[in-house]
Amino acid sequence: MAEEIKADKTLDVRGEICPNPDVKTMTTLEKMEKGQILEVLLDYPLSVERIPKNAENRKHRVIKVVKVEGPDHRIFIEAKANK
Amino acid sequence: MNPLIFTGIPIGLAFGFALQRGRFCMNSAFRDIIVLKEYDLLKAVGLAILIQMVGFAALAMAGVITISPNTFFWGANILGGFVFGIGMVVAGGCASGVTYRFGEGMVGAMSAVLGLILVGLMTTTGAIHPLVVSLRGATTVTLADGANLTLANVFGIPHYMLAFGIAGIALIVWAIRSKRGEKSPKQEEEVSLGTKIFKNGWGWKATAIVIAIIGIIAFVASTAAGRSYGLAICGGYWSTVQSLLLGQNLISWLSVMLLSTILGSFIGAKIAGEAKLRAPAPKVLIQCFFGGCLMGFGAAVGGGCNITHILTGVPQLALSSILNGAFIIFGCWALAYFWFVRPMRNL
Repeated sequence: MAEEIKADKTLDVRGEICPNPDVKTMTTLEKMEKGQILEVLLDYPLSVERIPKNAENRKHRVIKVVKVEGPDHRIFIEAKANK
Repeated sequence: MNPLIFTGIPIGLAFGFALQRGRFCMNSAFRDIIVLKEYDLLKAVGLAILIQMVGFAALAMAGVITISPNTFFWGANILGGFVFGIGMVVAGGCASGVTYRFGEGMVGAMSAVLGLILVGLMTTTGAIHPLVVSLRGATTVTLADGANLTLANVFGIPHYMLAFGIAGIALIVWAIRSKRGEKSPKQEEEVSLGTKIFKNGWGWKATAIVIAIIGIIAFVASTAAGRSYGLAICGGYWSTVQSLLLGQNLISWLSVMLLSTILGSFIGAKIAGEAKLRAPAPKVLIQCFFGGCLMGFGAAVGGGCNITHILTGVPQLALSSILNGAFIIFGCWALAYFWFVRPMRNL
């Protein structure tokens, strides 16, 4: 990665079952201050596809989705950026 | 052994591959309408049902297959469907969901499968079996000639007419709605077809079309092997375990298909780089197992899981499957409401 994004909070939902990665990400984002950055670590393919879409629908801003290795991904989201 | 049971291998491989690529899980499909306001998987389920409805009716007209609705035993369909629906929320996946994630290497799904097999077998052959038999017996309704109920024969309408009619109306409604909601086309990233098929998750339309085609071919192949039905899952787990562990010779088209489905999901996940053995916390593993137990009980009581009833039974217009499927959805919503919707609302 060219530049490291500094996250205010990291949420590790690797190994978790459906739909906990999605639900925990959305509830965590709701509890954060506007402009804070959440880093989500996850390995569940359906959530990797849906979290960015749902976060944008809920007025957060997806900064980056990074594929780490295998199913492992990191998603950076700015909380309430568009609220 | 009928050599034609081995047609289950290519069909299972394709089915597992498509489940994994399309993330085809009805638990997500139904639950996430209320939890995340997410409709893509639901659309995939709906479209797959409609395509198969037309395909089955056409093949039945041509005499290639026989429409084979499951017996309507409303008490068992309601109880089984509702418990199955609750179970899939607890387990974090329906029968097809936990099967493709088994292939992906998700240990939670494997734990759910274990529960599904254990309690499923206890219910179909073991201690709870007599209760199930009496519940089914007390609530069975058939036509006067003993035929199993479908929407068509209950109202005395020719099957093909109703099937084509429903699919036709759905197509018209869909065309009108999509015209109304037309947006300017999104700028999509240019990716190769290979990437679209093997690396990226499929969109709902592709998923539905591929799964429906596999479902239609499966009905024909399975009929040739002596089993007049389409895709199913739970029965495959049970007959496989009975054959391999309990020494009963029940290896069938369905068990061959099911084992290939798990392998097909693994292949799909491997190519996409999504295969990895990964486990949740021990508490969640136990939760998955318990959810699997509920699904096993529900499927054994109601005469099938969500694939038997919703994916294969509803397109045959089987009344048993429509009722059972509706209660799978109610069960799913009931628990999802208390587990996810209410807590998220209180933020």
